[in-house]
Amino acid sequence: MRWRYILSVIGILTAVLGLTMILPLLVGVLYRDSSVKPFLYAMAITVSSGLILYFFCRRAKAEIISQREGMAIVAIGWTVIGLFGALPFYLEGGEFRFFVDALFESVSGFTTTGSSILTNVEGISKGSLFWRSLIQWLGGMGIIVLSVAILPFLGVGGMQLYKAEVPSPIPDKLRPRIRDTAMVLWKVYALISLGQVILLMAGGMGPFDSLCHTFTTMPTGGFSTKNASVAHFNSAYFDGVMIVFMVLAGINFSLHYQFMKGNTLAFWKDSECRFFLGIVVGLMAIVSFDLHGKVYSSVGSAFRYGSFQVVSILTTTGYATADYEQWPAMSQLILLLCMFLGASAGSTGGGMKCLRVMLCFKFCYKELFSLIHPHAVMHVKIGGRSVPEDVMRSVMGFLALYVGLFALSSVLLAGMGVDFITSFSAVAATIGNIGPGFGMVGPVENFAAIPFWGKWLLIWCMLLGRLEIYTIIILMVPEFWRK
Amino acid sequence: MKIVIVGAGEVGFHIASHLARENKDVVVIDQDAAAIRRLSENIDVQVIQASGSSPAALMEAGIKSAELMLAVTNSDETNLVACLVSDMLSPNTKKLARIRAADFDEFHETFKIKAPRIETVINPEIEVVKTIVQMMSVPGAVDVGEFADGRVKLIGVRLEKHEKAIGIPLSELSARVKQKAPLISAIIREDKLVIPRGNDKLLAGDLVYFMSEDRNLTDYLSFFDKHSEPVKRVLIIGGGRIGYRLARLLEDQPVYTKIIEKNSERCKVIADKLNKAVILHGDGSDQMLLSEENIHEMDMVVALTGEEETNILSSLLVKQMGAKKTITMISRFSYFPLMERIGLDQIVSPRLSAINSILQHIRRGKVLSARSIKGEEAEVLEAMAMETSDIVDKPLNVIGMPKGSLVTGIIRDDQFIIPSGSSIIKPGDRIIIFAVKQAIPKIEKILAVKLEFF
Repeated sequence: MRWRYILSVIGILTAVLGLTMILPLLVGVLYRDSSVKPFLYAMAITVSSGLILYFFCRRAKAEIISQREGMAIVAIGWTVIGLFGALPFYLEGGEFRFFVDALFESVSGFTTTGSSILTNVEGISKGSLFWRSLIQWLGGMGIIVLSVAILPFLGVGGMQLYKAEVPSPIPDKLRPRIRDTAMVLWKVYALISLGQVILLMAGGMGPFDSLCHTFTTMPTGGFSTKNASVAHFNSAYFDGVMIVFMVLAGINFSLHYQFMKGNTLAFWKDSECRFFLGIVVGLMAIVSFDLHGKVYSSVGSAFRYGSFQVVSILTTTGYATADYEQWPAMSQLILLLCMFLGASAGSTGGGMKCLRVMLCFKFCYKELFSLIHPHAVMHVKIGGRSVPEDVMRSVMGFLALYVGLFALSSVLLAGMGVDFITSFSAVAATIGNIGPGFGMVGPVENFAAIPFWGKWLLIWCMLLGRLEIYTIIILMVPEFWRK
Repeated sequence: MKIVIVGAGEVGFHIASHLARENKDVVVIDQDAAAIRRLSENIDVQVIQASGSSPAALMEAGIKSAELMLAVTNSDETNLVACLVSDMLSPNTKKLARIRAADFDEFHETFKIKAPRIETVINPEIEVVKTIVQMMSVPGAVDVGEFADGRVKLIGVRLEKHEKAIGIPLSELSARVKQKAPLISAIIREDKLVIPRGNDKLLAGDLVYFMSEDRNLTDYLSFFDKHSEPVKRVLIIGGGRIGYRLARLLEDQPVYTKIIEKNSERCKVIADKLNKAVILHGDGSDQMLLSEENIHEMDMVVALTGEEETNILSSLLVKQMGAKKTITMISRFSYFPLMERIGLDQIVSPRLSAINSILQHIRRGKVLSARSIKGEEAEVLEAMAMETSDIVDKPLNVIGMPKGSLVTGIIRDDQFIIPSGSSIIKPGDRIIIFAVKQAIPKIEKILAVKLEFF
């Protein structure tokens, strides 16, 4: 482990983050509100800390980063970015007077979780509102992927960083060079985002709200600028646009790239995408059917609210247009289970990811099959290709760790005096990067009431979920630190 | 520039890492999951796990937009089929293939014109024999390369203790030693490459590279106390395909050749084909046999068996028994750094030779030939100075060559000029440039004709 090198890269990442603060600063200037000073200070502190770190360690050069170093850079880098991202909130004060609250909001942003400690979202400055949305957008595709795309010096080492930040059971390199791959992904991401801004503005949403909501839809983040989340706008058109873009954000971005390159069947040919879309449509229908007559009298409203909530939770966005805690038990349970399933691998969504769940089911079927035919030779296949044994092992390990860490964290949270359904759903909602849960942290409530150490625990859960367990948990294995 | 490489073995791996470092778009196809993983974890290239001759895999790799396809798997047949398929899918892609079997030797030219239309067939065995012959031609040198169609040689010599050149700044070499000194192009010191400046000093143990025409070669070699008596007696250990090729080449030269081969059947086969060489049936590491055959009288012993460990040990043994020079063939790159330490300086490797000749072809165009030295730290490029490139009509010290590069020779008409800071390159000159790997993309830019960008 070459610590100087690791620190120099983290220094650069911090400086890049600091530079992005110029955007909320401009928003603050534009609206002449109280956010100008906090952002000015935060930006100065972030950029200078980053540069100081870089200049102290810059002599350390490395051409190849080991997998271990790549994981260390990403895990520590994300923690550091979360800390600096919290600065503007903390400096603004108000509901963010405790640092842990500012940090919770910041990490919830970067990890695209969307859980908030704010009781009155509309009470904070425009600059901070914009920053909340922007960090979700940056965190969605990954600030390290962004750095790999724009900073040439990361070069070859960029690959290890990319793999640690965008973990995928079956890695996919779109272009021969990692820099081009990162660039392509960001371009696709920006292009789809542009489409959403245009559609939202065409429906009559103001430019500020359109931009902020796009910045939180595309990364499947879920922060809203309104207290009532998307329900505030109360428009079937906006609900529809957001459903479409949440689903798009939940699909593997390499498929978007292939589609844009002219491969119109890309979505259909990918078995994970078919599985994901199948689940989306199936659950939409079941929930709408369940709601019809019990909560909503018209089929139209049942479908509108039901499908919005299914898509919002399944893609791990976490917007709300209805208080689903008033819904029938089956619908609630479906939403709770959706939190675990999550979106596609290679998308901006969280959760366990459809691909892993699919592989797990296929593996189970294979086991059953070989009980019936003990001599059968059978491979787990995805899209007609056999899945290598080591990929299968890593997927099973991931699922075991996910469930194990979920169990451990929820018991810990309950031990801090939080009630049963809240602890259970708060951990599911943060480790899956969704946002709202049930009980005390339901769609119309927030995370302010979670005890001090509980917030730290959930911050850790959000990072675990965003970096897909391994990258974070590996830092906690003593063997990792051994020379 | 997009390049598709079929085969992620040692050759594929090293060429891919060479090219990826120069920001070229490289896609590698191989069937072996472990080889693919080694590649994707260490090098910034795209990988596809599939058979290299599969049309679907080649399409996926984007053969249609590729400028170059290299078929370098271990199997000649796969390489040929991969070339054939590429030719059907994308006739405009240039194809290079590694083909080892001697059966195809006479067909290399035919392949160029007919069906697979392979631009260049690379036979590592032929390449390695070429390298051995080049080394034999300058016995004092550790490394020998040829430029300008063989008129200019690149020579690498190892400095030993008590040599007169040691400790003198390069700019004062000729004056202090009172003998014409060559322009030192590069020094390899403790496995690191140094492009020297005038005030750098030479140290014992340095591997020093310089360029020389044939007629100055003896003078330059004696400057470093190396003498180049021609090789008269050669012992080849291992009568395999490479040993046989070498022996057959030496038959036309005034060289007395002996071959030691372990396998008696193989001995009969080569004895049947060779007329002058003495074929000995026995073990190359058998002391009795070696002293019986007057090993201490040998000018050169070449260890070419299929096992690199045997080659290394045999070379050490014959050196101790009094053989003057040895050339050792090894194939595993990870052994290279060891060789200097155990005193085996002259090494050949079929893979390195293949890599060198492939590089030459990749660079072709503006660059006439290229050669990597000592592992892959640096390359020597021979290029044509184009009329509108940045490099012409200005004194060299004004051009601002990239850091880690040096113009070490200019060939104008039939003249070989050793340049100084005030030399001016004229359009149509051929220039020889030494460059560390980091400087190569910049060098390519300098050499490029400006109009190409419009």
